Amino acid sequence: MGKKGVPDWLNSSLWSSSSASAAPCPVDRFPRSPPAPKPEAPTRAPIPEPPPPSRPPPAPVEAPRPSSGTPPEDPSPSRLAQEEVSRQSQLLAEISKKVVNIGELRRLASQGIPDGAGIRSTIWKLLLGYLPNDHEFWVQELDRKRAQYKDFKEEFLVNPSEMARKLEESTGHKNGGMESGGCGFLMRSEITHDEHPLSLGKTSVWNQFFQDTETIEQIDRDVKRTHPDMHFFSGDTSLAKSNQEALRHILIIFAKLNPGIRYVQGMNEVLAPLFYVFRNDPDQNNAAYAEADAFFCFVELLSGFRDNFCQKLDNSVVGIRSTIAKLSELLKKHDGELWRHLEITTKVNPQFYAFRWITLLLTQEFNFADSLHIWDTLLSDPEGPQETLLRVCCAMLILVRRRLLAGDFTSNLKLLQNYPSTNISHLLYVANKLRGSSAG
Amino acid sequence: MVLVLAIGDLHIPHRAPDLPAKFKSMLVPGKIQHILCTGNLCIKEVHDYLKSLSPDLHITRGEYDEDVRYPENKTLMIGQFKLGLCHGHQIVPWGDLDSLAMLQRQLDVDILVTGHTHQFKAYKHEGGVVINPGSATGAYSSITYDVNPSFVLMDIDGLRVVVYVYELIDGEVKVDKIDFKKTATTQSAH
Repeated sequence: MGKKGVPDWLNSSLWSSSSASAAPCPVDRFPRSPPAPKPEAPTRAPIPEPPPPSRPPPAPVEAPRPSSGTPPEDPSPSRLAQEEVSRQSQLLAEISKKVVNIGELRRLASQGIPDGAGIRSTIWKLLLGYLPNDHEFWVQELDRKRAQYKDFKEEFLVNPSEMARKLEESTGHKNGGMESGGCGFLMRSEITHDEHPLSLGKTSVWNQFFQDTETIEQIDRDVKRTHPDMHFFSGDTSLAKSNQEALRHILIIFAKLNPGIRYVQGMNEVLAPLFYVFRNDPDQNNAAYAEADAFFCFVELLSGFRDNFCQKLDNSVVGIRSTIAKLSELLKKHDGELWRHLEITTKVNPQFYAFRWITLLLTQEFNFADSLHIWDTLLSDPEGPQETLLRVCCAMLILVRRRLLAGDFTSNLKLLQNYPSTNISHLLYVANKLRGSSAG
Repeated sequence: MVLVLAIGDLHIPHRAPDLPAKFKSMLVPGKIQHILCTGNLCIKEVHDYLKSLSPDLHITRGEYDEDVRYPENKTLMIGQFKLGLCHGHQIVPWGDLDSLAMLQRQLDVDILVTGHTHQFKAYKHEGGVVINPGSATGAYSSITYDVNPSFVLMDIDGLRVVVYVYELIDGEVKVDKIDFKKTATTQSAH
């Protein structure tokens, strides 16, 4: 503590963001810049494309990029492909075991889950606690949860008219039919519990319906705006529409089940990767139930972050402001010079950039494939997503430190709000290094 | 699920100053999709007030309306139902169900909404259903002084209509409902 200077390992030229320029479209290729852990300058032979034949064909992820989490040891470049293959088989082996060792799974997954193997969906479900450790209980648990979701849908997504109709059908109420040909005054019937459309009663179904309309309109708007560049989410195809419907249902049910927090803009962005991964599960049965699975995993994921979305808690110890302050502290601890330059000299208040980074779990800062990789690490780290997220944000700042130190308020803000694309495994490696209370 | 308000015979300002407060507190914008007003508002301010509740407002002319441009009859299609609107002072004898049935056949509608008698009625005959929402302010009519304020809200959902009747009796709002269905194969052309 009290260390003002920059730790030695940070001074290496390898952390400069010029490595980002070598990865213009961070998709297929492994970047040709040298982000090796040791400060020698290895020339890296590019990872052979296409991926080694032992791998199954890539799952329908938009960018089937070979993920290479750099393991703590220092491998020579040519072994990386092998590392990845071995990691994939280790992961497969781990999830196929009868009782999955979550700690081991976390350790393996935090290095990145290979895109091609189609196991990301299952691993995320395990990491989020949706699937129990013991294989035996999987089917039972899944059935139970999916049935529960179906009940939620019936309860929350029905409008009051239909509800009234179902109620009457169940009580065997007789309606006066126009077709019965008789003439006469129509029978009036009493209504119970203030259940009429103009009711202002708190328990009235109609009143709640109208109060929810505003929330539902907001959800509609946001769902239509989710990832407009991806065919999965946006466009006129029936696939995009059904996916949007699913997102809509999940968010509406969540808002109704959580009246304290309801729906806040941005939740759709947190939901999108979950739903995408589950929907693209190679197992058709799982993919069909992606909506239900995504709902529960969304609830689980958000449970750690919900305080960030609650406006009333903004200024409290658990709210977003204090989280941002923690990030600030973390930066100060690891890179005092940068911290001073950012916050004091150029007065770039972390709220200007970190708010979106933290509340949306970095989904907006990188392209979709990269954010899936970051989420692998976020979800698997035993320290918990929030802590890991702060470390990754800190690493993001450190990686562009050279540009930040050279910039003023405007250019720094512009840089941080449009974070340049970078090598994700490199970023995650730096974040990993920031672990623990002692710097360096 | 379409909510249609049927209201009329307010006679503001001549016979009543305003809607009852309890009715006014329930009639808020954003809930109702269509308004069918039988007539006798009588002034523009009431028209503006109704317009604020819902953008889709249909009015027919009552004999005391100050705006002479409202039509005598109106028909419109909402969901699967054809609705007709007429003030009712033109139908003699006033409130006579057979004569109203004649008008209904003439307009060829499933539901006819009329007023003028200031008495709530919901009547079914072979041609369809006649609904009289009564007077929303409880203004006296040409026939009687004993009038309870009332109006009607219809919930049209596919082939089924639920009619909610709101009446102010002894200072309390009483709500009843009436249900009816239409067969899909009736002769009314869509």
